[in-house]
Amino acid sequence: MTGPALRLTGAAKTYPTGTVALAPASFEIARSSFVSLVGPSGCGKSTLLRLLAGLLAPSEGEVSRGADISETGFVFQDATLMPWANVRANVALPLTLKGKSEERVPDTLRRVGLEGFAQAYPRELSGGMQMRASIARAIVTSPQLLLMDEPFAALDEFTRFRLNDDLLALWQQNQWTVVFVTHSIREAVFLSQRVIVMSPRPGRVIADVAIDLPERRDEALRGSHVFADRCAKIGALLRGAMTGEAA
Amino acid sequence: MKRALGPLAFGLLLLGGWELAVRLGDVPAYILPGPAAIVAALWANVGDLASSLAVTLEVTLAALALAALSGALIAILLAQSPLAERIFFPYAVFLQVTPIVTVAPFVIIWVENVFAVLLILAWMAAIFPIISNTLLGLKSVDANLKDLFRLYGATRAQTVRRLLIPAALPYFLGGLRIAGGLALIGTVVAEMVAGTSGTRSGLASRLVEASYRLELAVALACFFLLSATGLVLYLVLDAVSRRLLRHWHESARTPA
Repeated sequence: MTGPALRLTGAAKTYPTGTVALAPASFEIARSSFVSLVGPSGCGKSTLLRLLAGLLAPSEGEVSRGADISETGFVFQDATLMPWANVRANVALPLTLKGKSEERVPDTLRRVGLEGFAQAYPRELSGGMQMRASIARAIVTSPQLLLMDEPFAALDEFTRFRLNDDLLALWQQNQWTVVFVTHSIREAVFLSQRVIVMSPRPGRVIADVAIDLPERRDEALRGSHVFADRCAKIGALLRGAMTGEAA
Repeated sequence: MKRALGPLAFGLLLLGGWELAVRLGDVPAYILPGPAAIVAALWANVGDLASSLAVTLEVTLAALALAALSGALIAILLAQSPLAERIFFPYAVFLQVTPIVTVAPFVIIWVENVFAVLLILAWMAAIFPIISNTLLGLKSVDANLKDLFRLYGATRAQTVRRLLIPAALPYFLGGLRIAGGLALIGTVVAEMVAGTSGTRSGLASRLVEASYRLELAVALACFFLLSATGLVLYLVLDAVSRRLLRHWHESARTPA
């Protein structure tokens, strides 16, 4: 299949109250790419993600996706697990809702490092493990598209780094298209092939930066000069947009 | 068990003081019998009172079951659209604020079967907390979980069964605990107004009857049996609630 996984053509969202959540945006997201949306709160990145998920309809413009993209996984900032169901039932949800077999669940749990926790209830898990369960639920259908809305924002830095590493490894194995929303420039640069920079009031896209870092990303990269340089570049773009607004 | 020691000791002290006051003051039994006389009256009428208790309990439990079912169903229907809630919820409130004693005379005229009269009145008393609590629970469902169900193409039935009902369950059970007491109160009030139903009379109509005859020991025995019934009902519903929520809800962790 050719063509992009997702395409926005002048897509915008204005709420009935008149608030402009997202000014018209146009871009494409290539298949099997890892793209981050980064910006401060109120920049419309979550709105944009919901447009991509089809959870919101654009008030103008158009959002389209490749014809072969049928399964979408979505990960929220909170783990958003059903507290009354154990890990196994939570992860199996997308399958059981469609009446599909649950045979993939154990393997998916193993892949996110939750082997042996199938019978545990969400409240018995740490924040990081709850997020792993949430990711397992999103990937259990082998989705072509994975949308993540600040999934690691509420976690401590050690847990976040580990989950970043694990997520990258999973992506490299599976070639999903990933759109990852974050307010952390470092996280965006570390994970992505491409960073879309956004700015608030009104929420809009201000830059689209390709991240020319090596394929292999590890702890050494986090401390490297070239990594710091890419982060600084995006930081400068954001600051420029924010001061321009203040003036 | 240890926690019950304090209240138990206080209760015994109270009963002892009561017995002592009645004996020393030489209070006649038609004004105030002592605890010993009440226990004796309970023992002398045990078969009779037990069958009356069964009648009251039957009505209470049937009304509670009916209120739980219909209340939950009404809440689910009202939760389907804000418009439906705006139109119908005021009538649920109307049902709640109307003292059921005032409705009783009409129900007695319109409905012939006495059991049905009692059932209707007790149901009316019990249903409101179920509707309002369940509705609150249905509306408090995590918005992200709702989005998730939508994203995964869940049907409306699946969303109700697998998301709304479990999420609202703690609220429903909270309403059920209140409704248990209200169903008993409704039954008692209905029995007092509707009077005896031929051969089968409940504890509250026995209480009224005994008090008319100045058999205060029997009347008080009925009174204590009704209180104990209410208490046991609450404890059972509380235990059911804890059992159902034990894996996941905070309310199942803290002592009552």
